[in-house]
Amino acid sequence: MEGDGGGGMTTPAELIAQARAAKRAALDELAGKRLLAGFGVSVPRSRVVQDAGAAAAACRELKPPLVLKIMSPDLLHKSDAGGVKVGLGSAAEVEDAVRAMMKQPAIESARIDGFLLEEMAPVGVEVVVGGLRDPQFGPLVMAGLGGVFVEVLADVAFRICPVTRLDAEEMLDELKGAALLRGARGRRPVSREAIVDVLLKVGGESGLLMTHGADIAEADINPLIVSERGAVAVDARFVLTQ
Amino acid sequence: MTKNEKRVTSNVIEQFRPLFEPKTVAVVGASTEGAALPNIFIRRIREFGYNGAIYPIHPAAKEIDGLPAYRSLGETPEPVDYAYIAIAAAQVPPLLEEARGRVRFAQVISSGFGEVDEGRELQLALVAAARTGGMRLIGPNCLGLHTPRGRVTFTETGPVEAGPVGVVSQSGGLGTDIIRRGLTRGLGFSGLVTVGNCADIGANDLLEFYLADAQTRVIGLYLETAGDGRRLFEILRGARAGKPVVILKGGRTRQGRAAAASHTGSLAGDDRAWVALSKQTGCVMADTLDGFIDALLAFQALAPQPRHPTRRVVLFGNGGGASVLATDQLSRIGLDVDTFERQTVDDLARLKLPPGTSITNPVDAPVGTLQQEDGRVAEKILEVIYGSGRPDALVMHLNLSAFVGRTRDEVLDNLVQAALRVQARFPGQAHFLLVLRSDGEPALEERKRVFRARAVALGIPVYDEIANAGQALAALAFHERFVQSRNR
Repeated sequence: MEGDGGGGMTTPAELIAQARAAKRAALDELAGKRLLAGFGVSVPRSRVVQDAGAAAAACRELKPPLVLKIMSPDLLHKSDAGGVKVGLGSAAEVEDAVRAMMKQPAIESARIDGFLLEEMAPVGVEVVVGGLRDPQFGPLVMAGLGGVFVEVLADVAFRICPVTRLDAEEMLDELKGAALLRGARGRRPVSREAIVDVLLKVGGESGLLMTHGADIAEADINPLIVSERGAVAVDARFVLTQ
Repeated sequence: MTKNEKRVTSNVIEQFRPLFEPKTVAVVGASTEGAALPNIFIRRIREFGYNGAIYPIHPAAKEIDGLPAYRSLGETPEPVDYAYIAIAAAQVPPLLEEARGRVRFAQVISSGFGEVDEGRELQLALVAAARTGGMRLIGPNCLGLHTPRGRVTFTETGPVEAGPVGVVSQSGGLGTDIIRRGLTRGLGFSGLVTVGNCADIGANDLLEFYLADAQTRVIGLYLETAGDGRRLFEILRGARAGKPVVILKGGRTRQGRAAAASHTGSLAGDDRAWVALSKQTGCVMADTLDGFIDALLAFQALAPQPRHPTRRVVLFGNGGGASVLATDQLSRIGLDVDTFERQTVDDLARLKLPPGTSITNPVDAPVGTLQQEDGRVAEKILEVIYGSGRPDALVMHLNLSAFVGRTRDEVLDNLVQAALRVQARFPGQAHFLLVLRSDGEPALEERKRVFRARAVALGIPVYDEIANAGQALAALAFHERFVQSRNR
């Protein structure tokens, strides 16, 4: 599921340098996902397009259902602005979605970098993997369960980077909602191994935060969708240090 | 240990030897009237048995407290291992500059440096002066150090033996509390250093010393800032919980942080990082001074059992309600006070104990039972419990007020001796902790004090309430589980 998005082979360091050169406080979604992909984290296959016609053409290279997302440095909350449309099954639906999105008031008045057209991740449990730079301890990595678990209950576990495999496993055991990963309420268990793997790629010995911790003030992979077989970073945000 | 690790260990030991075992001590700030803090320091180290050279430093006086005085740190007959400095802040940097490389460690007691806004620059000047003078600096804004092996102390203690507990305290006053309360409780120190603002030497440096030091088996840190948190993490992770480390961290809450910032003049870390530090390195986080001392005492007295981390606790003593409440509290902190299995209950029933004695866990044995055979009945009960109940820990709790006027004094001793004999027959099975409960009545407190001292002399950790013993056991259990999980 490696991403391409038309960006070619940009190294993680170059992605950060480009954002800094553009005086951006954060990496945009596409750059964030490329950064993750550079460390081996799975991201959806995607294409960046500029208009409805190109979007329809790009559908031939992607496997539906697809999701369309607006790319704009002005829109922090894409969904609130009407900039996310999920479950698109055909080129015609994609084309209509692009046209509709361009007419949203918040989007009409914003700077637009383009549209991100992505394959949708398989159904799974929503997990959050995050990172932040502690002034005294340096990079910390976080794991939590998505939705109300992280937003309302603050059911998260932090560790100081670099984490070991055992540290990462203990982070998951520590979550109050850990039973969801094991398949509570009649669902099938999801791959713990895949989450541990992402935690190591983000917060492990030669992971993303240990390598680029000085540049990253905060990181949010929300959600990471975890199924029985793997984990895909569906949205990613990296805030750069000042 | 690799060859490289050995070299680092012997380096850090050699580096700090003059601090912990000074052969020469300079004292700056003593007055000819003999009333200043440094004069008291001279008296205290003499009383503590220090018999190396003491060099008072004074701009004019020929003699202080009967000792010849010298004009500067650079003019003493022998180089100075440890200098104790308590003069006005602004006078300290010029004093250090004159040391000409003849001072190993200077501890600056004076305040008025980085802990207040107007002292920030002076602290930078202090660090530069220490470098020019060729010494390592401890403090400023601290109270001193307590090193039984070097017979040097800053606090009034009376005669004390060295012990296995090495402490670093970022607060001087709390350092005094730790020593005095700790000694009363039976803690023995391999050293305690108050480090104040940590302008040069910080808690991490002394942590490395204690980890390498053969006299130190247990380490306690009172911290208000992490200083270099990353280095703390790396040191602790590298140490693999080989020695238990207990951290009392001030400023873990938002309000506590505001107080800490005004106290030590630097930004306190975020609590979640401390929780992570504990989970990743096995260090125990204590929440209160008493909790800190309780945990250190447990680690001093009890050998961790990582092969069967503490979980099953047997409560044995007089006080039904107290043991019911304690059962609840222990289960809240992850310990089990499980009822005994059939076999154990049957075996206890065969002892035909007097009515009112419960024969399941918690074992409530009224004084009437405990005083049978002058207390030796406890041996039979504990023999059964250890034999088939398989506890990881035994907490013997004695409510002393219930013994008053009803028993002979030997009964308490006999109860403890009975427990120790059973302990000896089941080596490595259960941690043994004693709780002496009292009602605060002066005569009873005195009896408790005497009895506590006897128990402490036998190496038994003694607690005031079952809840405190429970918290200490939880700390021990946390350490044991960590060691077990990292050695699978």
